[in-house]
Amino acid sequence: MNAAKQATLHLVPPDEEDSATRRIHRLMLQRETLRPMFLVAWDDLSHRFDVNELEAWAGAVLTLAHVNAGPACLIAYWETSKSGGAADRQEIAPLLVAGQMAADICRNAGARAATAALQALPVATRVFGSGPALARWWRTMELLARQAPESVAPAADNIAAILGPGTIDAFENFVATGLKFASGNRVRRLAFFRLENDLARRMIARDLGSVTFLETEIELKAFVTALWGKPPLLRSFAADNSQAPQRRTSIAGPLIRLPETFRGVQGDAARALFRAAAAHAQAHLVLGNGLFPVGTLKPLQIALVNLIEDARIETLALRQLPGLRRLWAPYHVATPSGVVAAPTLMARLARALFDPAYVDDDSFVAKGRAMFQAALPRIDDPAISREIGVLLGNDLGQMRVQFNVKTYVVEPVYRDDGLGLWDFGENAPPSGEVMELPVDAVRMERQEASDGNSSEPDEQGEALGRGQPVAPDERGTVIAKYPEWDRADGIERPEWTIVREVAARAGDPRLIEAALDHADALRSRIGRLVRGVRIGRTIRLNRQHDGHDIDIDAALDAGIALRTGQEPDPRVFRSSTSMHRDLAALLLIDVSESTRDRLATGATILEVERLAVAVLAEAMGRLGDPFGLLAFASDGREDVRMTMIKSFEEPYDRSCIARLAGLRSGLSTRLGAALRHAGKVIAKANSGRKLLIVLTDGEPSDIDVSDPLDLVEDARRAARGLKNAGTDAYGVVLGKTGIQAASRIFGRGNTMMVHRIEDLPGRLSELYFRLARR
Amino acid sequence: MNLDVYRIADEPYYQPLGHEIATFQAAYAERLPVMLKGPTGCGKTRFVEHMAWRLGKPLITVAAHEDMTAADLAGRYLLEPQGTVWHDGPLTLAVRHGAICYLDEIVEARQDTTVVIHPLTDARRILPLEKHNEIVPAHGDFQLTISYNPGYQSAVKDLKESTKQRFVAIDFFYPPPATEAAIIVRESGTDDKLAGILVAIAQRSRNLQGHGLDEGASTRMLIHAGRMVHAGLPLDVAVQSSIVLPITDNPDIRAALSDAIQACLP
Repeated sequence: MNAAKQATLHLVPPDEEDSATRRIHRLMLQRETLRPMFLVAWDDLSHRFDVNELEAWAGAVLTLAHVNAGPACLIAYWETSKSGGAADRQEIAPLLVAGQMAADICRNAGARAATAALQALPVATRVFGSGPALARWWRTMELLARQAPESVAPAADNIAAILGPGTIDAFENFVATGLKFASGNRVRRLAFFRLENDLARRMIARDLGSVTFLETEIELKAFVTALWGKPPLLRSFAADNSQAPQRRTSIAGPLIRLPETFRGVQGDAARALFRAAAAHAQAHLVLGNGLFPVGTLKPLQIALVNLIEDARIETLALRQLPGLRRLWAPYHVATPSGVVAAPTLMARLARALFDPAYVDDDSFVAKGRAMFQAALPRIDDPAISREIGVLLGNDLGQMRVQFNVKTYVVEPVYRDDGLGLWDFGENAPPSGEVMELPVDAVRMERQEASDGNSSEPDEQGEALGRGQPVAPDERGTVIAKYPEWDRADGIERPEWTIVREVAARAGDPRLIEAALDHADALRSRIGRLVRGVRIGRTIRLNRQHDGHDIDIDAALDAGIALRTGQEPDPRVFRSSTSMHRDLAALLLIDVSESTRDRLATGATILEVERLAVAVLAEAMGRLGDPFGLLAFASDGREDVRMTMIKSFEEPYDRSCIARLAGLRSGLSTRLGAALRHAGKVIAKANSGRKLLIVLTDGEPSDIDVSDPLDLVEDARRAARGLKNAGTDAYGVVLGKTGIQAASRIFGRGNTMMVHRIEDLPGRLSELYFRLARR
Repeated sequence: MNLDVYRIADEPYYQPLGHEIATFQAAYAERLPVMLKGPTGCGKTRFVEHMAWRLGKPLITVAAHEDMTAADLAGRYLLEPQGTVWHDGPLTLAVRHGAICYLDEIVEARQDTTVVIHPLTDARRILPLEKHNEIVPAHGDFQLTISYNPGYQSAVKDLKESTKQRFVAIDFFYPPPATEAAIIVRESGTDDKLAGILVAIAQRSRNLQGHGLDEGASTRMLIHAGRMVHAGLPLDVAVQSSIVLPITDNPDIRAALSDAIQACLP
């Protein structure tokens, strides 16, 4: 509120010669074109405010003039100030704040930006009122002006859309995300604030309290699977925030595409709507039979065939699962009144066919109902939908009621758009936005079929599950996107990092084999450890206080002792203990640029890491513990590179050693994303205990993050996520620099520091055996 | 020794679904060991009881568990005032005196434990008791039956190939809806309509098998739900407490299952 405070300083009596009021009037005398408009505004204001307030306002105008705000900006300010304007009429303070802020924006981003911001003010005022939320809006605009001057005008021009979510938090988050998203790149920033970017559009599409597809997907999928035993292939399409009616669910081949959010529906109601929509769509896929050929049908006929087919499918579904009526009924809200137009009549017919208790005297509705009733004996035959639909379509056509194919949406809202039921054949679908959908949908289906197996929805881990499989692009195979924790704003930014799988280069395995030969003493020590913990089958423990069996020798000794009058040893039992091992381990190896450093011995850190990993891998291989080796480095948030050296499925053989030998140092350490991905990899291991050991040589860093603490906090959050998912994560820190960060990330007890990096091979294996024995 | 306590006096209700009774009778006539496979709560144990009653033989049941040792099956020395005394285990009891020995959920026992049954399940039909220095030839009435649930199967819990291949197998599954409803009516005292709804509910949960649930609701679970209703509980509460809550702890699956169950209720 410092702007407001500053503004109050202008509240000095205007009797002096150099008062702002005088000065602004003098200034306006020289501006022929502006003066009339200024005088209108002044006149308007002088009816509402006293002299002191006017003086302050004049001061604000002067400030704007002094920062070269230009005529357009001044006019915008005057317009804002007029009583018809958006600012609060009773108070001068909001006007002063606006003037001050516009001047600040003008200083940083120029007159055009300041003008646009003032023009956006009425919208912001409508959304936020004139309270503290509006002040925060101004501050955020001003922040934008300082950090991204070119983006103020586009953001202000789109303010109505950007404020769609309706809260100041959402707006601040939007701006902060935009700034981070572009990480200094003007073009990307502009695209974001012009809403040409998907992320931007998705952010404003999500109104608070609404339920996203992602949040409900697991439950939704299980629900539909439970209903019909056939797992649905659910996808989402981005919600739009326009004023157009909610786009309906669509079916494309085997896919069901649901909106990311249902606009304006929140909480449990949104979950219920998702369920209703998915259940309806899957009912088509399970109970329908094949596609209808379009032939020469007109759009109105197609719409009516869809309507009858919907009713037919729901009738069949309700016979199996009568309770679905409770799920769908709330959305049938058509009433037998209102304008007689095709969409309303069709909504009424839909209700009449669904709800036997619904009364509607309209002849069209009654006819549709009667025809459907008459066809009930043939309800299993999809041909009835076409027969009835075509006839009703003719009737409706002859009634000359309005039907606009471009604006028509299926009612009620849970039903699908119906286009997935049609075979459009060779002919291009009729023009119009609605009709373009199936083409789009089919394209999408093909795309997903090509990256097929990896993105099977079944495999989505639940606890770590927000990683979204995405299509490959030119910089390598994109395998997933992960969220990242934003320390400053205290929120998790979804799909913030992109993880790519970089194929491992095969190096010369002899390099590592030679290094192993040099480390013979170490290997034999590790070999003893291996024998110690080797699957010992059942170990019998003799002479125990209790056990499942009598230790016959001990019992005889005790019997003899009793008979000779001595005190017997009560430990006459034997028991057994199972040395069953059920442990999977994943080694996450940091290969960032700093591992290129050479140690006193002449070896690089990476070489020591490689040897350490090779020694441990050899031991784990002999133990038979399933394990994986994964290397990581990053080059900004969109390029987190993972290299699989050994997957859990493949045996540890020479090709793994070659890949290990082929590791090269380079790039940075975005640990959080790597941890999340490692969590996803190890989640697939079928073991009771899961162990993730991270080898790193310092604190996380990346080129697009200025404060390493951000990445430390994100990695800490990722590590906590792993813990919640049942994976034990341990950090092994090389050298002294990263210890603070590492103990923050993994916890003090889960961090091991290796001061002398040369000791790593021994220390790493010891750590593993210590952890494995727990 | 008298095995009368192991005899089953009254006919245990069993609704045959296929040829399982004839198969078991034939296997028993040839004294071949039998393996019953199937998900939990689909009637394996009830079937064995029924067959023991039908054949008029005593039935000795052992529930296998992870800590079970060979001594738990074969027998062991116990210490008594005069010294050590040998006690036959349940398997030895059945072998010596002629009973059907039923090892329930055999995969729960460790593989090295289950090999004690090998000499019993081939042409030798003997049980060597090395600790007692005795070889017990099987009584003419002795027969071995084991059960296991392939649903649990993992690399850790599976039968050895050498164990598997000694048995005649009978596969069990959930009965067809009408039969299952009849079983629920018979066992829980509910009416046909309610039994039909319970079967529909079970189908919903079985649809989730492999998609969030390891196994769907068993017939036994449905009978429990039916009995809860019979005892006066409203249907939705009974279903919640005897099906949804026991079957999963995953909140998403729980919510999905509850909603799917709502779809079955009229």
